[in-house]
Amino acid sequence: MFENIPILSLLILFPLVGAIAVFMMGRSPKASKYTALIFSAIPLALSILVLTQFSLNTGAEEYLGNFQFVEKYQWISFLGIDYHLGIDGISITMVLLSTLLVFLAVIFSWNVEDRLHQYMGLLLVLEVGILGVFMSLDYFVFYIFWEVVLIPMYFLIAIWGGSNRAYASIKFFIYTHVASLAMLLGIFALFFTTAPELQAQGLIATDAIGTFDMLLISEVAGNLGTALQFAIFGALFFGFIVKMPMVPFHTWLPDAHVQAPTAGSVLLAGLLLKMGSYGIIRICLPTLPDAAVDFQIIMVIIGVVSMIYGALASLAQTDLKKMVAYSSISHMGIVMLGIATLTELGIAAAVFQMFAHGLITAVLFMVCGMFQYGVGTREIPLLGGLAPKIPIISTVMMMGFMASLGLPGMVGFLAEFMVFTSTFDTWGLWVFVPVASVALTAAYYLWAMQRSIFGDLTDRVNLSRLRDAYWFETIPLVVLLGLIILFGIWPAYVLDLITPTIPLVFSGVI
Amino acid sequence: MIEYGAIYPELILILFAVAIPALHMAIKSSRTLASISLVSIIASAGMVIYYMLDGYPVIIGDPASPLIVFDALAAVFSLVFLGVALVVVLASARYVESDRHLAEYYTLTLMATAGMMLVASAQDLLIIYVGIEIASMATYALVAFRKKDKRGAEAAVKYVIIGGLSSALALYGISLLYGVAGTSSLIGINEALAAQGVDLATLMALGLLLAGFGFKIAIAPFHMWAPDVYEGAPTPISAFLAAGSKKMGVVVLFKVFLVGLIAIKADWDIVVGIVAILTMTIGNVVALSQTNMKRMLAYSSIAQAGYMLMAIPLATVAGMGDFATGAGIFHVITHAFMKSGAFIVVAALAYVAIGESIADYKGLAKRAPLIAFSMAVFMFALAGIPPLSGFMSKVVLISASIEAAEVTQWMLWLGVALVLNSALSLYYYIRVIKYMYVDEGDSKDRIKVPATLAAAIVICLVATVALGFLWDPVLEFCVEAAGTLF
Repeated sequence: MFENIPILSLLILFPLVGAIAVFMMGRSPKASKYTALIFSAIPLALSILVLTQFSLNTGAEEYLGNFQFVEKYQWISFLGIDYHLGIDGISITMVLLSTLLVFLAVIFSWNVEDRLHQYMGLLLVLEVGILGVFMSLDYFVFYIFWEVVLIPMYFLIAIWGGSNRAYASIKFFIYTHVASLAMLLGIFALFFTTAPELQAQGLIATDAIGTFDMLLISEVAGNLGTALQFAIFGALFFGFIVKMPMVPFHTWLPDAHVQAPTAGSVLLAGLLLKMGSYGIIRICLPTLPDAAVDFQIIMVIIGVVSMIYGALASLAQTDLKKMVAYSSISHMGIVMLGIATLTELGIAAAVFQMFAHGLITAVLFMVCGMFQYGVGTREIPLLGGLAPKIPIISTVMMMGFMASLGLPGMVGFLAEFMVFTSTFDTWGLWVFVPVASVALTAAYYLWAMQRSIFGDLTDRVNLSRLRDAYWFETIPLVVLLGLIILFGIWPAYVLDLITPTIPLVFSGVI
Repeated sequence: MIEYGAIYPELILILFAVAIPALHMAIKSSRTLASISLVSIIASAGMVIYYMLDGYPVIIGDPASPLIVFDALAAVFSLVFLGVALVVVLASARYVESDRHLAEYYTLTLMATAGMMLVASAQDLLIIYVGIEIASMATYALVAFRKKDKRGAEAAVKYVIIGGLSSALALYGISLLYGVAGTSSLIGINEALAAQGVDLATLMALGLLLAGFGFKIAIAPFHMWAPDVYEGAPTPISAFLAAGSKKMGVVVLFKVFLVGLIAIKADWDIVVGIVAILTMTIGNVVALSQTNMKRMLAYSSIAQAGYMLMAIPLATVAGMGDFATGAGIFHVITHAFMKSGAFIVVAALAYVAIGESIADYKGLAKRAPLIAFSMAVFMFALAGIPPLSGFMSKVVLISASIEAAEVTQWMLWLGVALVLNSALSLYYYIRVIKYMYVDEGDSKDRIKVPATLAAAIVICLVATVALGFLWDPVLEFCVEAAGTLF
């Protein structure tokens, strides 16, 4: 159906056009938010259209042939850079998640007052970058989109953030930019070291300096020297785990989240963190499988440490949003653990957990935002007994917390369960170390809930200004919770997309 | 009869430079004089482009030891100088309009540009020296243009003294080389050095030339004067110094080291490499603590000169010459636009009475959205954030360093230093954006910037964004231009 339509480029183009249009609508906030709504709905519709045309089994025998909707145009022939997009089962889940969350974030931001048109425009620019990252098959294009994401997020935090926003936004920018530079060195090392082998195999012209094509490089990178592979893997891996973020490179995240506006937090936790784990899955493992095996123990350790440290830190927080931020670190640790098993089930579970966490964490940050504006504070000790006063917010909060702590029947449970199953398959009873973090997770969520919405009604907040959720807050939450339950009961809708791809992509490691 | 085609582009500028004071008798309007200067700049650029399309003119001098060769390298640098001059003249039209000596201002700017262009096409140390002196004398006067302004006068005195010292050092180096090689032609010097090897006099000459030209482009440890001068000079002239005059020094170093002294590269490649790393690091570290915009941009220029200098040791690796030098030239081009853009934003804001301290930029995004947006783009480009031009040129330099490291391992450190410095520099660039977008200013009034200044800013903005996407042909041309050196 789409043979002649560059649908992936359109996916990127619509938010970009929308962003430019919205930026120009400074005079009319109303027009700008409807425009933003339309231009975020179009990519969502397009991505669903792509899904309907996506074939679950391409019949491809190897990584190379498995990409669909591929677009490839020469951009800079001189350096072997192509504008090369394509999706497989892993990226389409991320693309769907991205278009959905941006659309919902736009709705949720309906009553932002300050510079609304810029806010909406930046959300759309963010979408451009994120979709680009999830669809690029060329290292250079990937890197550009990767960095493009930083700029709108920096401004979202810096302009609409909390009182300490200047510090948080600069910290966010510098941490992730430094990590990206390490990644850039790794990319260049791949570019130059794979060139002779690619030339010898006739995959690129003999007079070419090299290529940035991810797929071609993954064909030959496994033949590089062991030490070199290890070093390149390390540089790329560092770039990705800072973004995820993993302990000990996580400190930017709580600051950024606490200061960021709600939609910023939703997209930061829901999508930006996924870019890190997506990078490991898309680039590190298939390209340098031998090094991945060498790195397995490192991945396990930082994954488990992040899970437990994130959970313990959550337990200690008094700010609801900071608690959720630390819980993201803990949950991204589960993704890392799934990847580290280097098994088919584990990696599929990691991707599924990325998807699940994207949905759940969006709910949680929206809840935090509603507490901020509906109640006036997010400090747990100041709250109490609010459930009868704000039933919608309380219900949503409860469901979100339950989903996040892994209640069966909701999407998070299945993802975590799959990760732990594959952990057990690989390391046996050691699985109890990471499982301990699940107990901690249940503890901090239940405790926080008990203190904030149950018990005696608080007298420490101004109850006369209490308000329950507005319609534009309720709609995104209902959609998200509906999906959380839907995919919790029929995970196959998502897993069927992911699982056929896994053996092809990771034939080198599993 | 000697063919003078090779200096027609310079002659056009000089002709107008001489005519403008005479025209000033009749024409009092700064705008008209600026327009006349713009015409000469565009005519000269037209000549350069004509040569690029239609074949380069014959060389001046004996083909074995040429004096002036207008080749692709001269063309690309001439266009950079002319582009910067164009932007500076546009920005100056309102800036100097109330001054009695405005004709001299334009004359001196055109003369300085002609001098820089002469350097770009010179193939003989003496011609290079003459070109540098033409450009320097003109810029000394330009820095002192606001002679009643104490800071400007102080800056000019400093600049003259340092300039004189550096010329003396360079001239001493040139005379020693002449003594050793028996010629002042770059090609001749290289042949002589290849034949007779290195002796003490050559090493002394090497050091003197590096120091002399090093002062000109303000590389560490010869950089101390630059921030004072940039701060004191009229802001469009600061742009001219940072984006134009500094690039003249870069092309001199390219020529002297990669043509004249390439035979003895083993004696200097690591020294130049260390100087490059030192320059970028010192520039960035000191820039971190600056509170004055112009000083901060000055230190940033020092750091950026370090990046350009990196190309020289990289180009000594066999087979890398064209690409590495081309990468350096590409960074010269991108930097010319981002840096002059940033300085002209400062000039435009100074024109509407906003101070030069970074704190004065608080809340600017609400008062002047377009100016603040342009400044943000220049800052992001200087920091090397994709997809802007500054990112692309840094990427090409890093890739050159990694490729060179496959032959000469220590050169990887140049790329690593560039990466670390980029990360470091991000802080002070982004701080400007923070002040503009995050902080609330005291005043909320809209700012109206004169159209000519806005036009200059928009030119730089368009170039900075466009070079991020359409860099393939430009880089290829830079590499071709670099090829003429080898």
